[in-house]
Amino acid sequence: MLDLLQSASDGVLYGATYALIGIGFTLVFGVMHKINMAYGAASVGGAYLGLMVLKLGAGLPVPLVFFGSFLAGGLLGWMVYLACFHFIPLSSPLATLMSTVGMLLLIDEVIVHTTDGMPQNYPALFDDVMLRFGEFTLRGDLLLVFLVSVACMAGLLALLYRTRLGLATRAVSQQAIAAQLCGIRLAQVNVTTFVITGLLGGIAGAMIGAAVGTLSPLLTTPLTVKGLIVTVIGGLGSVPGAIVAGLLVGGFENVIQLYRGVTERDLYVMLLLFAFLVFRPGGLFAPAGGRN
Amino acid sequence: MDFYFGLAQLIGVHTLLGLSAYVVLLTGQVSLAQAGFFAIGAYVAAMLTVLAGWHLVPALGAAALTGATTACAVGFPALRVKGLMLVIATLAFGEGVRLFFFNFDYQIARGDVKVGPLGGEGFRQIRFFPENGWTTLEVMLFIWIFVLLVMALLWWLDRSRYGAVLRAVGEDELAAQSAGINLTAVKVSAITLGGAIAALGGGLYAHYATHIEHLSFGILLATFAIAYPIVGGLASVFGTLAAVLFVQGFLVEGLRDLGDWRNLLFGALIVLAMNLRPRGFLDAGNLRAIKRLFWGGGRGAP
Amino acid sequence: MALLELQGVSRHFGGVRAIDGLDLEVREGEILGLIGPNGSGKSTAVNVITGLYPPSAGRIAFDGRDITAAATHRRLSKGIARTFQNIRLFGGLTVWQNLWVAQNSARDRAARGFLSRWMGGQSGAREGIGKLLAFAGLAGREDELASNLAFGEQRRLEFARALAAKPKLLLLDEPAAGMNAGEIADLDERIRAVRERGVTVLLIEHHMELVMAVTDRVAVLNFGQKIAEGTPAQIQAHSAVRKAYLGGDH
Repeated sequence: MLDLLQSASDGVLYGATYALIGIGFTLVFGVMHKINMAYGAASVGGAYLGLMVLKLGAGLPVPLVFFGSFLAGGLLGWMVYLACFHFIPLSSPLATLMSTVGMLLLIDEVIVHTTDGMPQNYPALFDDVMLRFGEFTLRGDLLLVFLVSVACMAGLLALLYRTRLGLATRAVSQQAIAAQLCGIRLAQVNVTTFVITGLLGGIAGAMIGAAVGTLSPLLTTPLTVKGLIVTVIGGLGSVPGAIVAGLLVGGFENVIQLYRGVTERDLYVMLLLFAFLVFRPGGLFAPAGGRN
Repeated sequence: MDFYFGLAQLIGVHTLLGLSAYVVLLTGQVSLAQAGFFAIGAYVAAMLTVLAGWHLVPALGAAALTGATTACAVGFPALRVKGLMLVIATLAFGEGVRLFFFNFDYQIARGDVKVGPLGGEGFRQIRFFPENGWTTLEVMLFIWIFVLLVMALLWWLDRSRYGAVLRAVGEDELAAQSAGINLTAVKVSAITLGGAIAALGGGLYAHYATHIEHLSFGILLATFAIAYPIVGGLASVFGTLAAVLFVQGFLVEGLRDLGDWRNLLFGALIVLAMNLRPRGFLDAGNLRAIKRLFWGGGRGAP
Repeated sequence: MALLELQGVSRHFGGVRAIDGLDLEVREGEILGLIGPNGSGKSTAVNVITGLYPPSAGRIAFDGRDITAAATHRRLSKGIARTFQNIRLFGGLTVWQNLWVAQNSARDRAARGFLSRWMGGQSGAREGIGKLLAFAGLAGREDELASNLAFGEQRRLEFARALAAKPKLLLLDEPAAGMNAGEIADLDERIRAVRERGVTVLLIEHHMELVMAVTDRVAVLNFGQKIAEGTPAQIQAHSAVRKAYLGGDH
C-alpha cells in the first residue's frame, strides 16, 4: 500500500512535466487547429540549448540554466512557427502537419549531431533533499520540478485570463473570424502562441532533464507521444484538462511500472488512451463549442 | 550488383508502405498506424513460414488478411474521432503494436536452437529465402511483382467510381454525406485496404531482412509512411513511388558519402518541400501537364 | 398528399432555439417556398430535414415513413437531395466526377450490382450524366476541375449534383444568392423544369421576386416558428409577415 502511494505520488510530481507538454499541444490546437508535432522535440532542444549556459561558464547557478532553457524554448517555438506555419497556406493541413514532422526529425538529428548521441548530464536542484513522513518520502528534486511546473501553469493561466493578450488568444480559439473582425491580428496571436508554448516547453524540457538527471535524444519520441496522449485525455483545446490529464498519466504510469515493469508500462498508457477514445472521446474536459 | 538489388527490395517495400498510407490519405484521414499494420504483417508472415512451415505466398496472404482485419477493427472506433484526434489515436495504436511485440515471446525448439519472436531481442532467423536458395535478384523480382500488382490495383481504383468517392470524402465530408455517401463505410474500407497493403509490405520486409525487431516499427517508420504520399503528392500513385525513389534511392543511398548528415537533410527537406509545394511534387496541375506532354492535348488519359 | 411532414420539430443550440416546434408539410409535386428574415431558422430546418443535425424534439416523416433517426446518406437514397447556401462542390474532382459520385439513389443501387457500381468504369453512368450536363448547361466542360468553374457554373453543377441522386424532394438553400437578374431567370426556368419531371421542390430563398414567381405555396419562419403559410398572394398581403420583415406596425 505504501509502495502504491509512493509510486503514485512520485508519478504525479513527474507528471507535471507531461502537463506542461500537453498544455503546449493543446494551446496551439486551440488557437490554430493544428498539431505541432515538433513541440516535444523543440522542448528537449530548448533544454539542450539551456545547457550551453553551463558550458559557457562553469560555476554559474543552476537556476540560470533553467532560465536559459526557458528562453531557448521560446526561440525554438518562434523558429518552428516560421518554418512550418508562416508560409504554408492554412488550406493545406497535410502540409503543415508534415512540415512539423520534418521539423521533429530535424531537431532530433541536430541534437544527435551536436552531442554525438551521448546523453548529457543535466543539473538538478535539491536532489539531496528528502522530505520524510514516516516511510513515505518526497524527493526534493521532483518536488522542485512539480512546483516550478505549477508556477508556470499559474503564470500561463494568469496570462490567458488576466491580460488583453490572453483575451485575444481565447477569442481567436473560439471564433477566429469574429476575432479578426474585432481588430485582433491573427498572425500576431498565432506567433505569440508559439513563443509562449515554446517558453513552456523549454521549462518542461529543463524540468525533465532535472528529474531524469540527463538529457538524451531518446527523450523526444516518448515525450511527444505522452504529450499527445495527455492532450487527448484532457480534451483537445482544454488547458485545465491537459493539467489534470498530465498528472493523471504521470501517476498512472508510475503505478503500472511498479506492478508490471518498465517494458509493459507504456502499453498500459496506450490502453488508457483507447479507453478514453472509446468511452469518452471528448476527453475529461471537452471544450465548449469552439471550431471544428 | 547485389547491392542494387538489395536497394530495389527496400524501395519496393517502402513503396508498399507509402501506398498503404496513400489510400487512407485520399479520404482526408492521416493514419500514423501504418507502421503498426506493417509490423503485424511482418510478424504474422514470419511466424507462419518459420514456426508453421508455410510457403511464403500463403503466409503473405494470411498476413495481408490479418492486417486488413486489424485495420477494420481499429477503423470503426478510431474513425469516430475526427481529423487531428485520429492522428493521435493512430499514432498511439502504432506505438501500442510496437510495445506489444516488444513484450511478445513465442519460441519453439527447432533442433538445438530456439526460433520465434523473443521480446526486445526481436525475431531472428527468418530464413525462407536462403533455405529455398533464392538469389537476391529473384527476391527483388518477387517483391516487385507485388509492388506492381498493388500499384496497378490502386491506379485502376483511382479510375473507378470508388476512387472518386474516396477523393470526394477527402474534399468535403459534409457534402459527401449529403450526396448520399456513407462516410463510415468509405473510411473503414479505405483503412482496411491500407492495412492489407501495409501488412503485405511488412511480410515481404521480414523475409528479406531475416531479422525483425520492435525498434524498426517505431514512429519514424510511421512518419515515413505518410511522408511519401504527402511529399510526392496525392494526385496519383506515381507521386508516392517518386517520393520513395527520391528518399531511399537518392537521399539515403545516393548521398551515402554524407553519412549521418543524410538524416538531418531528410528533416530539412521535408520542411522545405512543404513550404514550396504544400500539395506535393506531383499535384493535379503538373500531372496534367505531364499527360499533355506524352499524350498530346485533348482529354488526356481516360 | 404530404411527401415530407415535420411535426413539432425543434432544434436547440445551447439555449438558442434555432427552430422551435415547427410543423411543416411539403405536398407531393408542389414548389414550396420557405422564407423568413436572417436567423429565422431556415438553414437549420434544411439541416434537420437532411439529417445533418438531429432534432432536439419532434418527428419527421418522408414518403409515409418515419425518418427522424435516419442517417444523412440514407435520407438521400430515400429521395431527399439538397444544395448548399455556400456552394460545397468537390473542388479537386472534375465536373464529371462530381456527378458520378452522387449517383446514390435507391434505383441506382438496385439497377447495378455492387461491383459494377463501385468498381466499374464510367460507361454505365455515361448516359445519365450526359443528360445532367446538358440540363445544367455544362456540356463539354466535364473534364474541368470543379474548383476552376465560374461562380454561376458552380451553382449549376451543384444543382445537377443534387439531381444525380434522382430525388423525389429537392431542397434548394438560397440558390439565387450572388446571382444577377439573367441568371435568376435561368434558375426560375430550371426549377420549373425539375418540377415538370415530378420532383417536389422546397425552395429556401431571400429573393422575393423569385419566390413569388415560382412557388405554389409559401411558408414563413420567424424566430424558429412558422408565422404564416399560404399562396404567394396571401403571404404578400399578410400583416404578420410584413411585420417580421419590416418591423414596427405596418
